[in-house]
Amino acid sequence: MAGVTDHQTAAGQVFASIRLVLLGVVAVLQFGLSLPPLLSHPHGPGAWVAFGVLALATLVCAVWVVRRRPLPAVVVGAGVAAVLGASVLATDALPPDAHFGAAHWSFGLVGWHLLVLLADRVGLLLTVSGVHLGCEVVQFVLAGTPERVEIGAAGVVVLGATSFQLGVLLLTRVLLRNARQAAEVAVEQERTATRAALAEQWAQDLRAGFAGGLGTTLPLLADLADGVLDPRDEDTRRRCAFAATQLRRLFAEHDEVPDPLLHEVAACVDVAERRGLTVSLAVGGTAVPVPTDVRRELTAPVAVALSAARERARVSLLRTDGEVRVAVIADTGAPVGAVSSRVEVRCDTYGEQTRTEARWRTR
Amino acid sequence: MADQVSAVVVDDHPAVRAGVAYWLSSGEPPIEVVADGEDVRVAWLDAGADADVVILDLHLGGPTPVLGDLRRLVEAGRRVVVYSMRADDEIALQCLELGALCYLTKAEGAEHLVQATRAAAEGRPYTPPALAGALAGDRSEARPALSTRETEVLIEWFQSESKDFVARRLGISVSTVNSHLERIRIKYALIGREAPTKAALVARAIQDGLIGVDDL
Repeated sequence: MAGVTDHQTAAGQVFASIRLVLLGVVAVLQFGLSLPPLLSHPHGPGAWVAFGVLALATLVCAVWVVRRRPLPAVVVGAGVAAVLGASVLATDALPPDAHFGAAHWSFGLVGWHLLVLLADRVGLLLTVSGVHLGCEVVQFVLAGTPERVEIGAAGVVVLGATSFQLGVLLLTRVLLRNARQAAEVAVEQERTATRAALAEQWAQDLRAGFAGGLGTTLPLLADLADGVLDPRDEDTRRRCAFAATQLRRLFAEHDEVPDPLLHEVAACVDVAERRGLTVSLAVGGTAVPVPTDVRRELTAPVAVALSAARERARVSLLRTDGEVRVAVIADTGAPVGAVSSRVEVRCDTYGEQTRTEARWRTR
Repeated sequence: MADQVSAVVVDDHPAVRAGVAYWLSSGEPPIEVVADGEDVRVAWLDAGADADVVILDLHLGGPTPVLGDLRRLVEAGRRVVVYSMRADDEIALQCLELGALCYLTKAEGAEHLVQATRAAAEGRPYTPPALAGALAGDRSEARPALSTRETEVLIEWFQSESKDFVARRLGISVSTVNSHLERIRIKYALIGREAPTKAALVARAIQDGLIGVDDL
């Protein structure tokens, strides 16, 4: 029943509204339907006390109900005791032979009071209503042995009043269940929508990633096919090597491995070795998490430097306390610039050797 | 020859032993391999017991590195060059902690092995590029504080495998590069457990004026 008592949820909101309506019904019944018989028939003095207690119970309940808050257990307990007490008192103050008759103003009203107090505790409500009914019947019997006609009339009144109240209770439960189901469906729909949006985003990223890789590859292939580019040309070969490295790195990017950065660097090295290059790969320090886009920026200079190398290259990946550094020292270099401010790229030439390094500060 | 360096090679592969012996003997001046075997006993018996340097394969027929044997050798004052198949930073640092003078991977060539053996014979450390990478990537709490220049030298040496290149890039001489690397190793020798080789290394560095007594 957590969903019902929790005023935060949709079902809780619906229940709070139902309780408000029920409270309105009680107030109208007390002053519209119960007050006239109380005035028109000669009741004992206890009747007015009972009327006051019931009115007070309505007022106290209103403090929480109007603010759409669940009734505290203490209020419910005290309320139930007060209402039952008032019921006994009112029935006791009835004029003779008025049980379950037109003058019995409290019987139906008490039922509605109990409904307001215990609408969220169905088991308890049925029990307390049973107790209420039992008290009325005992008082009815104690007031003098009833005749068969009187018993019949009383039965009709009891049946009429309780079945109407039970009907309202049933309606409340149905409404609540529907509200809860509707809320669940709404949440599920929202979740599905989020998942769909995520999947779409992922697919878009994937397409963009491939387009990024293929962006240089497709025109290159087209130019080679059209004979615009000469495969013997040094620059063409370098561009092809770069495209191959880029693609290989892109494929490696989506592999599930414990050390993705090393995996991608190794992929670049692999392509270079296939090209006949002698590459040594050295790794220092243990793996640290590196975001995908940073990995891309760290490995891009490696791809460029390796595709420019002629015979040998040394690739190193170092993870120190505060940074990740990927360096290529090769016999020929190609200028590489930084793509973003996150990854610092440097390219220097010392005699025959060119050193390309990408650094990313982890802190 | 009194000043000829002698070495004992412990490795479970005969081809590796033969290769190491050949590399060492073709050094200039040559290093003599006085004993070799697949078991660490060879370093304790006969000619092996008197060899200047022990070249120890860390994986002798089993998956567990023989760190216990390394510790016993070092405690006996032997100068050990660890020669391992695996480039494992953690194991490398552990070997240095135990007092090995060098940790060399088999991927690193003859030149490093000869230099490491010769340095070890003199009680000096040798830091090959892969070990430099392990030291630069050391994120342990106990690691010594290195100066900016020392870190630079360590990283550049790891990245380039060429001291000439490091010297040219940083605008210093090759011997300065070497003394930076040696100072780093002394800083490492000063932390953690004590070992005769580490003490000798520090004493040697003070003698050479590489560090002052105040630095300790």
